Amino acid sequence: MSHDRPSPLDHPEVQMASSSRYVVGFLVSAALMALSFFIVRQRGLPALDAQVVIAVIAMAAVLIQSYLLFHLNFSETQRWHTAAFVLTIPLFILLVGLSMWMFHALAARTMIPGMH
Amino acid sequence: MSSNTGESIAPDATVLWDTGHHGHDMISTRTFGFWLYMLSDAMIFAALFTAYAVLGHNYAGGPTAAQILRPGDALAETMLVFTSVLAFGFSMSALKRGHRAGVLNWIAVAFVLGAAFVGMEVHEFANLASRGIVPERSGFLSAYYTIVLTHGLHMVFGLLWMAVMAVQVLREGFTDDIVYRLLNLRIFWHFQAIIWVCVFTFIYLQGSL
Repeated sequence: MSHDRPSPLDHPEVQMASSSRYVVGFLVSAALMALSFFIVRQRGLPALDAQVVIAVIAMAAVLIQSYLLFHLNFSETQRWHTAAFVLTIPLFILLVGLSMWMFHALAARTMIPGMH
Repeated sequence: MSSNTGESIAPDATVLWDTGHHGHDMISTRTFGFWLYMLSDAMIFAALFTAYAVLGHNYAGGPTAAQILRPGDALAETMLVFTSVLAFGFSMSALKRGHRAGVLNWIAVAFVLGAAFVGMEVHEFANLASRGIVPERSGFLSAYYTIVLTHGLHMVFGLLWMAVMAVQVLREGFTDDIVYRLLNLRIFWHFQAIIWVCVFTFIYLQGSL
């Protein structure tokens, strides 16, 4: 705790906090979720189309929160947070995509009664 | 490099890598480590969502998703999570200015909203269980209980963490340790909102389609 040590409050990850970003992030994600709810409630779209639309809206909400709440960007302090996040996306795709493909193939080949 | 040319290098004086002290940034190291931990936590949720996608229609003659899920309640829960996350964001803005009272008050608001979310969830699951709709009834119910309650457990741990941080901020003020813990709690709490977006969309909304 010598005199030349900066205060932890001057750390860039503390100083990047921004109420206006958080408010915009809140309003946009709340509006997107309300929109998804409305789409499902109205039943104006065929079920399959509605499924795709709400999935796209959810992804948009995740990206907006990543940017506005998690401050994922290419700045010096956040660059590696962003890189780790982006490099996790192929892992998600492999995990979810390959597992679902495997189980669908399994169900299709075994034709267990009552599975469909 | 060139400054060493022509000099004989004594093995015990050889420097294999730059060992100079550059003022290690403890706060950045810890938030980055915690961020990697949260991304591996996200992989757990990815596995649970996969299990739900596979098992979600195996009702085994029991209740279906459309019969038991209440998207209206889930929308209210969504707003509770989002406002709680917003309140925690305001607490971080107060931290930026070094306002101890602001940090504590906004953490208290985030805590109350998070607790209201947990309360709604407890109510929902107590109601299901009382009607005999339990995880062992079907594949759908096992996957549904697991995924929603795993998120709920994260919320409970977040609340616990907030309570601990409130005490630590009161006792120690804004030291290096307290600040990195608050930054990590911010990552943890904001992360719950991202997971909830997926729970709300892929379970509550998709289930009622």
